[in-house]
Amino acid sequence: MTSVGTPVPRVDGLLKATGTARYTADIPFEDLTHAVLLQATIARGRIASIDASAAEAAPGVLLVLTHLNAPRLPRMRAFAKGGSAQQTVPALQDDRVRFAGETVAFVVAESQEQARYAAMLISVEYDEEPPAVGLHGDAYPPAKVNGQPPDYRRGDAERALADAAVTVERTYRTPVHHHNPIEPPVTIASWDDDGGLTVHEAAQGGVHMMRLGFAEALGIPRRKAGSIRVVSKFLGGGFGGKGFMWPRNILPAVAARLLGRPVKLELTRAQMYTSGGYRSETVQRLRLGADRDGRLGSIVHESTSTGSDMGEFPEPCAQITQMLYACPNVTGTHRLVRQNVGVPTFTRAPGEGPGSFALESALDELAGELSLDPLELRLRNYAETDPEHDRPWSSKGLRECYSEGAERFGWSARNPEPGSMRDGRWLVGYGMATAAYSSHTWPTFARVRIRADGTAVVRCATTDIGTGTYTVMAQVAADALGVRPGDVTFEAGDTRYPFAFPPVSSSGARSIGPAVRAAALAVRTRVARLAVKDRESPLFGADAATVRAIGGGRLARADDPERYDTFVDVLERAGLGHVEERKGYGVMPFLHSTASGIAPWPVGPLLRVATRPFAGRYSTYDFGAQFVEVRVDPDLGVVRVSRVVGVYDIGRVLNPRTARNQAVGGITWGIGMALMERTTTHPRLGKYTSPNLSGYLLPTNADVPDIDVHFLDRPDPLVNPLGVKGVGELPVVGVAAAIANAVHHATGKRVRSLPIGPAELLG
Amino acid sequence: MDFLRPNTFAEALALKAEQPDAVPIAGGTDVMVELNFDHRRPPALLDLTRIAELREWSAVDGKLRVGSGVPYARIIEQLGGQLPGLAMASRTVGSPQIRNRGTVGGNLGAASPAGDTHPVLLAGDAVIEAASARGTRMIPAAEFYLGVKRNALEPDELIAAVHLNAAPGPEQFAKVGTRNAMVIAVCSFAIALHPAEKRVGAAVGSAAPTPRHATAAEEFLAGELDWDAPKPLLDSVKRRFGELVAEAASPIDDVRGSAAYRKHALAVLARRTLGWAWQDHLGKETRECA
Repeated sequence: MTSVGTPVPRVDGLLKATGTARYTADIPFEDLTHAVLLQATIARGRIASIDASAAEAAPGVLLVLTHLNAPRLPRMRAFAKGGSAQQTVPALQDDRVRFAGETVAFVVAESQEQARYAAMLISVEYDEEPPAVGLHGDAYPPAKVNGQPPDYRRGDAERALADAAVTVERTYRTPVHHHNPIEPPVTIASWDDDGGLTVHEAAQGGVHMMRLGFAEALGIPRRKAGSIRVVSKFLGGGFGGKGFMWPRNILPAVAARLLGRPVKLELTRAQMYTSGGYRSETVQRLRLGADRDGRLGSIVHESTSTGSDMGEFPEPCAQITQMLYACPNVTGTHRLVRQNVGVPTFTRAPGEGPGSFALESALDELAGELSLDPLELRLRNYAETDPEHDRPWSSKGLRECYSEGAERFGWSARNPEPGSMRDGRWLVGYGMATAAYSSHTWPTFARVRIRADGTAVVRCATTDIGTGTYTVMAQVAADALGVRPGDVTFEAGDTRYPFAFPPVSSSGARSIGPAVRAAALAVRTRVARLAVKDRESPLFGADAATVRAIGGGRLARADDPERYDTFVDVLERAGLGHVEERKGYGVMPFLHSTASGIAPWPVGPLLRVATRPFAGRYSTYDFGAQFVEVRVDPDLGVVRVSRVVGVYDIGRVLNPRTARNQAVGGITWGIGMALMERTTTHPRLGKYTSPNLSGYLLPTNADVPDIDVHFLDRPDPLVNPLGVKGVGELPVVGVAAAIANAVHHATGKRVRSLPIGPAELLG
Repeated sequence: MDFLRPNTFAEALALKAEQPDAVPIAGGTDVMVELNFDHRRPPALLDLTRIAELREWSAVDGKLRVGSGVPYARIIEQLGGQLPGLAMASRTVGSPQIRNRGTVGGNLGAASPAGDTHPVLLAGDAVIEAASARGTRMIPAAEFYLGVKRNALEPDELIAAVHLNAAPGPEQFAKVGTRNAMVIAVCSFAIALHPAEKRVGAAVGSAAPTPRHATAAEEFLAGELDWDAPKPLLDSVKRRFGELVAEAASPIDDVRGSAAYRKHALAVLARRTLGWAWQDHLGKETRECA
């Protein structure tokens, strides 16, 4: 009886549904003080004067930090360079204002209300300069794009374009997106008498990486970073917006050290738009060249996104184009245009999200030019091997995703003529797109402990960002140990637990899972070794390596399952309260021997190791096919998504319930991206015009139709011993393009700028 | 900021007379958002939620008096039969949680041009009962909306109730939004047929500084409809009606939609709702004849 593959309900479901799960902001603290941010109201200029005297004199105020009195803070090492930060420029260090929303003062008081009131009493005068707004200025290449050079070339795409029988040249645009998790970011920092720092974080960014960030920011030597504890038990969504170190994480620790009291900072919804990154707007020029049969000879994908004085994060739009289709000549380029805004960051399906909108829309336009079925066009360009790295895939079930999806959706009923399908007054459109995502394996350690009562505790420093890690990892450990999942408790989100990389880039299952499995098998083997040496054990004399788990906490001889021992009995006879083992996965052998759960760990070397899990022999991607039906009101231009079918190859499905939850969520993000999500910036002031959930529209239940999710559920034989790839972000990819393609099919109108609005579909 | 909590309406009126700049708050679905966004900082809030009589409605001889504190959810549940237009508009307000708290009185008090119930109140000839320590006066909806977020209340007045006739004929309401729920109207439209008076009420929302009657459209349609021997409408009538409704609007471009789109959409909503309402009327006539 195995648990992996079964729809075990979330172990934290009841806690969350009943409001008893304790999120970071809910944690009670003695002697707690409360902080608020005061943010710049201009996008560019200098602080001519700042007067905090009235705030300092206000009731309950304990501390007001401005650039005039704040402790000196170092520039942070960028994540791309092995550090923990996207914004490398620290807050409150000079009088410059580089973007609207930059922190200009940090106020701490006895209550949040007092702090908020005091912040209003601070008078700031600015020397304002005209900000750079929009992607209009000079473009420049970033240093790196996801660790790769900004330009990618194979073959000679320009020449192949010139020779192509059919070409499509189009420009696509996507707007600024914000992560908008329901839970606002929260940091609670407290120092103990021995100089130890404890930070409770609503952190997607991985507690170990944040520890290094705190050490760096606070001038604590790396060898002493073990004195910093970061805890993050529950997360109310992150989507990239709670990754990495930002000034909002650092300032509470700075203030807490000055005050000798714990400091809590919880952002307002509006501050979330300027304090933790966002997805850059993009302009993407796509040029495709094909022969008359639709075989791609050339693709040029040129992407421009936002550059910032605060750090550098190019949206890696063209990277999906480099690997998705069998095309001999491909050029992908990334450029930045500097604006007076904060630094962008990873946002749900970074790169692949907006990149696939451009690529998969352009493919649909090419299919139209060729009078070819869009699905057939994709099949004709199916990449049997990774064309970017010229090596085999570890697994690729995309062809089956296409066929299964087409079958479930009823793609064959599609009349190719745009505007030809109707249901009453509604125009009906079918659209499809390919999904692919480069989920990662990050270095992860786990410790599994079997206790005297036969139950097990698994510890790993990862954070459950809402995906179901607590549940799924208990299942993985339960199967490896041969116990019920209910007998396993998974504990996470604490630097006291074995090292884990941040659960970003859909890496949770495929990084944590194998580590948990390895540790569970190791501890099981240790118990077996105890048993085979124990004369009282039915396993006495057997080869420990061949002892099998037969369920119910029993270990049996390989040759005779009737002769078994149990964890409980073995431990009792050995007089042991527990037995435990720690194992790592995704790490080089030398790290296994030295990395400990509490040692600080440099992120850079781990990153370099993790990006080469197969020593360059195989490429691993998550694949899928998205099929969408839309209904368009021809008089009002209103678009409704009426059906979605998503079929995905994510390797083995560890838990179909939590995996489906991820897929439905991802598709819903895709619907939002296609039809409503957008942050608008004032063209002259350079400020966001509606930093709230009334202006930033996300899909409601009424916008999300029945979604049919299907997983091939085929273990990847090479990626890891569990055969699991990634699921979190894949289902976002391609949905916006599939919707735009369906809208075109319904109306004959091609929208190349997201979100798709009704006005463009009229007339 | 003072938080005033009267237990009776009389107390509330006395407090409002004493402190005219106190902002009344019932469901808080508008006021709290404005406070949160720092759009305003009133010296006092006047909490009306303890006043039971504001949450009551009554019907006498087909005339309904709906207390200003009756939440949308109860209008939908309890008054859908008698005030179908108001119930339709109420269904489009916010989320279930918002509909449990938000009130028509609040919609009127805020007087946002995008308030969902305004076109229905205009089309249905609602009368607003305004009260103060000085007494009570009745303000027709058509005279209530003065400008963007400005209404005809005196500083010492509170909205006691809204008076409406139980729908004398078919009513319809339609709204275009940027998503399917929890959304501020891009534009909205309400129509009410008054067959006994051979009259039509029609009004637009979110398409001018105030919600307003589409007077020319109302007059045109009243003349075109054959009330005594109802028959299916000509497309040309629907089209002309739509044009006149669009002409009644003076919308702006904003993040939710352009002025041109709003005018276009209003014409579409007007044609459609007229079609539905007249169909409803035809159905009734047929049933009554049969």
